[in-house]
Amino acid sequence: MKIRLTVLIALLVGPASVALAGCGAVAGTTAQPPAPKLADRVLASGTNPAVKPADLARPIALYKRHVAAELGTMEDDVRRLQGAVDAGDLEGARQAWLDADSSYESIGAAYGAFGELDLRIDGETAGLPGGAASPDFTGLHRIELALFGRGSVADAEPYVPRLAADVRALRRKVPGLRIEALEYVLRAHEVFEGALDLQLSGRAGPWSSDALVALASNLRGTRVVIGTLRPLIDPREPLLSGRIDRSLDALAKTLRGLAGPGGAMPRWDHLPAAEKTLVSGQTAAAAEELAYVPEVVDPRPLVPERSAIAEVQAE
Amino acid sequence: MSVRRRELLLGGAALGAGALASRIPGGAGAGAAETGTAPTGSLAAAIPFDGTHQAGILEQRPNRTIVASFDSIATSRGELAGGLRTISERARALTAGFDALFGPTGQGPTPDSGIVGPRVDPDGLTVTVGLGASLFDRRYGLAGRRPTGLKPMPTFPDDALVAGECHGDVLLQLCANTEETLLHALRDISRETRGVLGPRWKIEGFLPSPQRESGAGRNLLGFKDGTSNPDVGNERTMAELVWTGSEEPPWARGGTYAAVRIIRNRVEFWDRVSLSEQELMIGRDKAKGAPLGTDRELADPDYPADPEGKRIPLDAHIRLARPRTPDTEASRILRRSYNYSRGYDEADQLDMGLVFVSFQRNLETQFEAVQKRLEGEPLVDYIVPTGGGYFFLPPGARGGQDWVGSALFV
Repeated sequence: MKIRLTVLIALLVGPASVALAGCGAVAGTTAQPPAPKLADRVLASGTNPAVKPADLARPIALYKRHVAAELGTMEDDVRRLQGAVDAGDLEGARQAWLDADSSYESIGAAYGAFGELDLRIDGETAGLPGGAASPDFTGLHRIELALFGRGSVADAEPYVPRLAADVRALRRKVPGLRIEALEYVLRAHEVFEGALDLQLSGRAGPWSSDALVALASNLRGTRVVIGTLRPLIDPREPLLSGRIDRSLDALAKTLRGLAGPGGAMPRWDHLPAAEKTLVSGQTAAAAEELAYVPEVVDPRPLVPERSAIAEVQAE
Repeated sequence: MSVRRRELLLGGAALGAGALASRIPGGAGAGAAETGTAPTGSLAAAIPFDGTHQAGILEQRPNRTIVASFDSIATSRGELAGGLRTISERARALTAGFDALFGPTGQGPTPDSGIVGPRVDPDGLTVTVGLGASLFDRRYGLAGRRPTGLKPMPTFPDDALVAGECHGDVLLQLCANTEETLLHALRDISRETRGVLGPRWKIEGFLPSPQRESGAGRNLLGFKDGTSNPDVGNERTMAELVWTGSEEPPWARGGTYAAVRIIRNRVEFWDRVSLSEQELMIGRDKAKGAPLGTDRELADPDYPADPEGKRIPLDAHIRLARPRTPDTEASRILRRSYNYSRGYDEADQLDMGLVFVSFQRNLETQFEAVQKRLEGEPLVDYIVPTGGGYFFLPPGARGGQDWVGSALFV
C-alpha cells in the first residue's frame, strides 16, 4: 500500500551507511526475499546539505509567533471563564474552559520550553501525592474537576485568577523562550504521540472527556509545525509533506464529521466504539508519517559511523 | 507530554549499528526458505505464504497463535484493497525471513521493531487472512460479492457473547513456534496498515509442549482435544470438508470458512468435579485420551455396540460432536484450536479456555450442525463461549504481486 519514502541515508550519515545498506542486500542469498524494510527505501541522489541547528531558527521563530497568538486567545478564554464563574453560569464556564484548553493544546510543541509554568497551567493529578486532593493541583484540570466533575462554579472560583496570572506570565515569556532545534523537530510527531497516550486513552480531561477538542487542537498545532519545517523538508524529501498532509486531512475530515452544530465536539467517552477506532487509527497512521520528519530534518551533527565500518572490516 | 526519545536515540545508535555490523556476514542467508528441510518447530522452519490455498489451515499447529480481528477504517475501496495487499506483502516477507537491519539515525523511524534481533527467522510463521460478513456491506461496494456461505456468527443458546470480542471485518490468524515471532509479525503488519485496519479484538493462544506426550494436545480441561480430526493429508477429504468449490463465485473457490470461538473454561468449577464424572461428560479416559471402553487414544469408539450409552453416554461430548453415523460424517470439521489464559474475572476466577478454530467448506451443514448437536450437553455448565466470529478465508495468493483477496477487487 505504502510507497516507501526515499530517505537521504547517504547524505545524513555518510558513506558508511551506504556500505551497510549494501551489505544488507548482499548478505541475503539469492533465494532470500529482499529485506523489505530498509532496502526498499531508495537512496535519494539529491545534494541538499544536512540540516544545521541554525536552519531551525526561522521555523522556531515562526512557531513562537503562533504560541504567542494562541496564548493571547487563551487569556481571552480565561477572562470569559472568570466572567462566567463570577456570574454563576456553569454552561458558560464550561464552554470558556473548553476554549482555553483548546488553545493550550495547540501549542504542545513548545511545552518542553515552558518549564514550571506548564505544570501550573496544565498539570494533571498523575504523579501528585494525594491526586486531586493535592494542594499542587491547581490549573486547568483542577478547574475541569470543578466544572465537569462536580458541576460547581464555586469550586472552580479560587483557581481561575491564578490560571489567568500563569497564562499571562507565560505569554510574556514567549519572546525569550528557548526551544532547542532537536526538540522542535521531534515535536513534529510527539504532539500526536501525546494525543494517543493521554487524550485518546481518556487520561487527560477525565471529567470533560474533551479528547476530540484537544486532538483537533493538536492537529492544528502540528500543522503549524509542519508548515514551518516545509522549506527544510521538501528539498530533502519531496514526497513527505504530501503524505503528511493527506494523513492529517483524513483525520481533519473525520473530526469535522463528528462535530455537531456550531462545531461542538461530542465527549470522547460518549463516542461509539467504531468512531473511536477510526479516530485512533487515523491519529496513529498520521504519527507514522510524521515520524519521518525529525529524521529528515535532524539538526544534529553527523554521528560518526566508526563502529560500523570497523566491525564490518574486522569480519 | 514529551517522549524522551533524544536519550534513546543517542544512546542506542552506536550500539545498534555495532551489533548489526558484527552479525552481517554469515548470520544472514541461513534462511530456511531455500532449504525447505528445516525441522518443524525450528527457527528456520519456513511455510510458504503463497499457494493454491492459504497457509495456516492444514499445517500442523505450531505452538503459538495470535488471532486478531480488525474493523476496516479505510475511507475508500482503494484504501481497503491497499491495506489487504500490504498484509500479503508483509506476510510474504515475514514468513520467509529477512535481515532486519538496525541502521544509524538519520534514515527514518526504526525500520523494524527489533524484538527478534537483526535476523527475522520464519519460525514456522503463517499469516492467514479472513474476511467477515460485515466487510460486504455498502461501504466498499462489495455487497454483491459476498461469498455464498458467509454470514455473521449467530448467538447460540449456550453462548454468553461479549460484544467487544465478536465479529470483525478482517481476521488475522498468526501462528508460529514462538511468541516473539508472533508479536514481531503483528507489530510489523499493524504498523503498515494502521490507517486501514482498526483493532477490534485479539486473543493469544498456546499449545502444550509436544515433548510432553504424543497424540493430541490437552486443552485446559485437562483432556486430549483434536484426536479425531479429518486427515489433512487426504486431498479428497479436504476437498469435501474444507475447500470451497463450485457453490461459490469463481473468486471464492479454493477458500474455506473459519469459525472462531473464544470458549471460556470454568476451570475452577471443573476441577471440583470427580474424575469419573468428567470422563463421562467428555467420553474419553482423562489419562490416556482413549475413548471410554477402548485402550488407546486413536481407537474408534464402537457406538453401534453401545446403543444405550453404557460405556460412552449418549450425551458425552465426543459422541454428540461426532456420532460416526453415515448421515453425520459430512458434518465433520477441521479443528485447529489453541488454549488461552488471560488473567482473572470479576469474581477472581481464572479466565482461561479455548481459542476454538475450525475450518469447513460450509458453516451451516458442518460447524452449526455440530454445534446444534452439542446444545445442552452436560459440558455446557463448564464452558462459556464469549466471543469469536465467522470469516471467509479466500484462496491463497499466487506469488509475485498477487495478494490474498485480490480477486475480490477485480
